[in-house]
Order: sequence, then C-alpha cells, then structure tokens
Amino acid sequence: MDAFVAAAGLVFQFKVLWVICASAAFGIFVGAMPGLTATMATALLVPVTFFMDPVPALGAIVTATAMAIFAGDIPAAMLRIPGTPASAAYTDESYAMSKKGELDLNLGVNLVFSVLGGMIGVVILVLCAPALAEAALQFSSYEYFWLAALGLTCAIFMTAEDPLKGVASLLFGLAINTIGIDPAAGFPRFTFGSVEMLQGISFIPAMIGMFALSELLRGAVSVDQQGAVLAQKIGNVFVGVWGVFKKYWFNFLRGSAIGVVIGALPGAGADIAAWISFAVSKKFSKEPEKFGTGHIEGIVDATSANNSALGGAWIPALVFGIPGDSITAIVIGVLYMKGMNPGPSVFLQNPQFIYAVFIIFVLANILMLPFGWLAIKSGKQILRVPRNVLLPVILIFCVVGAYAMTNSVFGIWIMLIMGVIGWLMEEHHFPIAPAILGLVLGEMFEQNFMTSMIKADGNALFFFQRPIAATLGVVTLAIWATMIWRGVKGRKATLAPSDA
Amino acid sequence: MRANDAICGIVLIALSALMIALTASFPDFPGQKYGPALFPRVLGAGLILCGGLLIWKHYASTQRSARWVALAPWTREPWRLGSFVLMLALLLLYIGASEKVGFIPIALVFLVVLFLWFGVRPLVAIITALIATIAIHEFFATLLRVPLPRGWLDQFL
Repeated sequence: MDAFVAAAGLVFQFKVLWVICASAAFGIFVGAMPGLTATMATALLVPVTFFMDPVPALGAIVTATAMAIFAGDIPAAMLRIPGTPASAAYTDESYAMSKKGELDLNLGVNLVFSVLGGMIGVVILVLCAPALAEAALQFSSYEYFWLAALGLTCAIFMTAEDPLKGVASLLFGLAINTIGIDPAAGFPRFTFGSVEMLQGISFIPAMIGMFALSELLRGAVSVDQQGAVLAQKIGNVFVGVWGVFKKYWFNFLRGSAIGVVIGALPGAGADIAAWISFAVSKKFSKEPEKFGTGHIEGIVDATSANNSALGGAWIPALVFGIPGDSITAIVIGVLYMKGMNPGPSVFLQNPQFIYAVFIIFVLANILMLPFGWLAIKSGKQILRVPRNVLLPVILIFCVVGAYAMTNSVFGIWIMLIMGVIGWLMEEHHFPIAPAILGLVLGEMFEQNFMTSMIKADGNALFFFQRPIAATLGVVTLAIWATMIWRGVKGRKATLAPSDA
Repeated sequence: MRANDAICGIVLIALSALMIALTASFPDFPGQKYGPALFPRVLGAGLILCGGLLIWKHYASTQRSARWVALAPWTREPWRLGSFVLMLALLLLYIGASEKVGFIPIALVFLVVLFLWFGVRPLVAIITALIATIAIHEFFATLLRVPLPRGWLDQFL
C-alpha cells in the first residue's frame, strides 16, 4: 500500500500531468495523420523523454501510444486510410459505415470501445504482472536464456510474412548488437578502431532510423497524394453507443481478451491483435454476410483489441524485460538507459515505479475520452495539415533527436544508415520489428548465453536441468520444429499482413 | 527497388562471411573455451543458413520473378526519385556541415530546400522554416540543454 501511495505521489504532480496531457495531444495528432504510426510516435518521443525522470518519461510513452492507436481510427473512417497499421483491419468496414451516413456512430463506438478495451488491458496487466514476477524471481541464466529465445522466436512466428526473413531480420539485429565492447570479456568487436563505435550502436538513433526515417523515405515519394476528407458534419458521436454495447458486449470482451493475449506475445502488437480479432468476429458472427457492408460488429471486436493489446504488451516487458511489441521494445531500451533494468527484481526494489505505470495507464485511458472527442471534432482540420510541410519538419526533428543521444553527428550517421537499411528491408519484405527486438535483447541474450555456456562447460544438457528451463526449452524447440516443418512444406505461417 | 530473394540471400551470405572472417582476430582467453568470437560466429552461421535457404526457396519456387532487380514505378518519375535522393543528400550535408555552420543556418537551408522541392509556396516555406527551426532550437538547446552546434551564430546565441 505504501508503494501505491508513493506511486500516486510520483504521478499526481503538476509536471507529470502536464507531460501526460501534452503527449496525449501529440499522440492524437501522430495517430490521426496517415503514415505516422504509434511506433513512430514513440520513436519521436524517446529523445525527449530521455531527458526526463522515469515516471514522466513512461507517462509520455504510455499516453501517446494509447491515443495514437485510437486516433488511427479517425482517418480510417473519414479517408479510408488507416492512421496507424492497428486500424487497418477494419478500415474498409469503417469507411463503408461512413458512406452509409453512420460516421458519428462509427467514431463514437471506436472511441468508447477503445477506452474500454484499454481498461481491460490495464486490469489484466495489474492482475498478472506481479504474480508472474514472483515466479520469475526464481529464474537463473538458463531460464532467461530460454525465455529470451522463446520471446525472439514468437517475434518471428507472429510478425513475419515469411518466417525465414523474420529469422534473418532477428539475427541481423543481434549481429548489429555485437558491435562494441563484448559483455562477457570486454573485448572491442567490429569497431574498426573508432572510439565512438566502442559504445556500440546506440539504440535510439538506430530505432529512429528504422521506424521513422524509413517511413519518411517512403512518404517522400508520395508526398503529393493526400486523401480527400469525406464531407460530413459530425454530430453527437455518443448517440447509439449504449445500444451497441448492449448488443455486442460479448464481442467487446472477446476482442479485449484476444488483444491482451496477442499483445503479451512477444513481437505481435496492436495491429495483429486487430486483424485476428476482426477475423474471429466474422467467423463466429450470426450475420457474417453483413461484414464488408459497414457493419459495426467486427469493429467492436477489433477496436477493443488494438487498445487492450497495448496493456498486454507491458506484461512480459515489465516482468521479464522481453517486449510484447515494438513499442515496448523501445520502452525497454529506454529503461536500460535509465539504469532501471526491467525484470522481476524491479517489483521488489521499486514497486512504486510499477504502480506508477499502472496508474498512468488508467489515467491515459480516462483522458482518451475527452481528448478523443476533441480529436473527432477537429478531425477534418487535423487531416488537412499538408504532408509536404509536415514531412520535412519531422525529418529535422529526427536529426536533432538522433544527435541529442550521442551529442555528435555519430548519432545522425547511425540514424541515416539504419534508416536506409530499414527502408531496404521493408522493400524486400523483411520485417523490421524482429531486428529491433534483436537489438534490444541482444546484450541480455548474449550474456545469458555465455554465462550458461561457461557454467555448463559446453554440455547442452545443462540447459534443460532445471524444470522451468526444461519446459521453456522444449516449447522453444517445438516451435522451431513446427516452423521448419512448415517451411519445408512450403506453407506460409502468415496470420495477417503485418507492419508493426 | 526490389532485388529478388536469391540476391538477398547472396548479400546475406557475403556479409555474414565477412563478419565471421573478422572474428578470426578476436583473442581467446586462457582457461576458457568460449571467447568474444563465439556469439558473432553463431549468428553468422545462422545468417548464412538463412541466405542459403532464401536462394534455395527462390529457385524452388515456380512463380519466381525472372528479373534480378525490379524498380518500383516511382523510380521512373524524376520528381519522386529526386525527393528520395534529396532527403538523403540533405542528411549528408547536415552531417558534413552542421558542426561548422551551426544548427540554425543549416536547419533553415534544409527545411527551405525540402519545402520548395515538395511544392510549398516560397513565402510559406520561408516562414514555416523559420518558425520550425527556432522552435526546435528552443526546445532542444534551451529546454533540454542539448549542445546543438552554434557555428556561425556563436557570438549571438
């Protein structure tokens, strides 16, 4: 209880609340602009949060991403362009509703169910995380090795169009991470005599490059293509939402539950959660023929799912330090830099910090109602911001953000090179999220691998001697076997078009 | 630009082979079997395997594209291609000149050039560039105390 009071004290300060409100507005804007994603919002925020205390920094990221995921629904309904990939699953359905004249109802449902779905995500996060953390305290390097291996495997299994390219992307991320001083022996690797390379590839500039610069490069070639906003007046968006809730409350619960589970699986985030819950909704619907004609049912499932996935993704991130999606991958990078290595011991040593995250999550979801309402009301104005002005400004912001991490142009170099690599990877359908996971988890993975190898003296059986390690190891190997079997049979493990 | 999977595989194998070759110079530690070279070698082996499988899959596939490299439609439009190249060129210019010239002048040039290229009207371009530059400078240099290069304006800031 003391920790909870301490946490409330950390959150309810004028400065923190101000940061939360500013990030809410920022998240809404980024989410509502087509081409700017929730992950990109995080990438742009990180250089700023770097200079803050942990609680406002996390508050900024949690709030901005929650808002961005909802705000992505606005252009989906008005322009038929999803604001973030998380809204892509039901963009056509939303637009069909708008064309039928149900834009108000659509936006109202999106807003209310985003808030409720987000709340379910938080509740499950609050219930699960501490219990899991208690179990995780018993873990040794073998368990962590397998946990990291399992997490990285899930990342490939869930996001990749072609699992093989997912594996390559992940290995690439891990390989980039070996640049610099090695964690076991302190020997400088692949530095080519450069002093700046000794510290390794700084994570934030790399991430700005891969998530923001590559997106800008893609946007630059279509900068003149701006969609036409549907000319419709927006009235009271909350009319009829209660009716929808009464009719589809089960869809809401199912969508939220799917969202949390998918969010918690490493590598898959809000976008995959929305695709899967939308597909589930259609499959079990009593009126599947109505899907595609502007039917609200699937939207209830999917819009709840993508917001609940955000909370779900924090479960493995806080408990094990293994990110549930690309946003929490960035968060973990931030936590490491602040010297607060995520993991079960944080729950013992700094419980107030964990409670602060919970409180911020609840707060962000409550704030989503007024901010989201304002965003809907000003949606047309937001969507009229010209892309040809926005794009150069974001680019210079990225440059300064990357510079601020190293206080030298070395950061900009990293951003530029990783940005071009990220762009090339996307062009060739190599998913980026596994590479970022590799970059974030690389050091922990290598350290546990080396410690385990040295302890076991090369005897692979040691990796399976403890019961939990054995279970995790067997599950991981089973997934690998399934993937290889699928690969040989030539079947794709694709669940949905993904773009984290 | 999109190269086919076989080329991706070849590039992966070449880079991984280079990485493994570089680990040859890493020292061993007396009394320990596993040194700093182990992990990069494991990764390199994995990447080579991926590359090989990509090549194999490409040639096993019945519907493989005959072209080695396919160019996206936008690369044939000079203006779009120019946008892409210009962004990279401006980033290189920033890296090369910012320490000497300073953040404010280089950011102004950076923004005005891009705005004009993207078809923003000149007056709007200049005013927006000024506002954006000053806002970003204030935010990062004053509020967050990032030592943005002062360059030519050193005596005025």
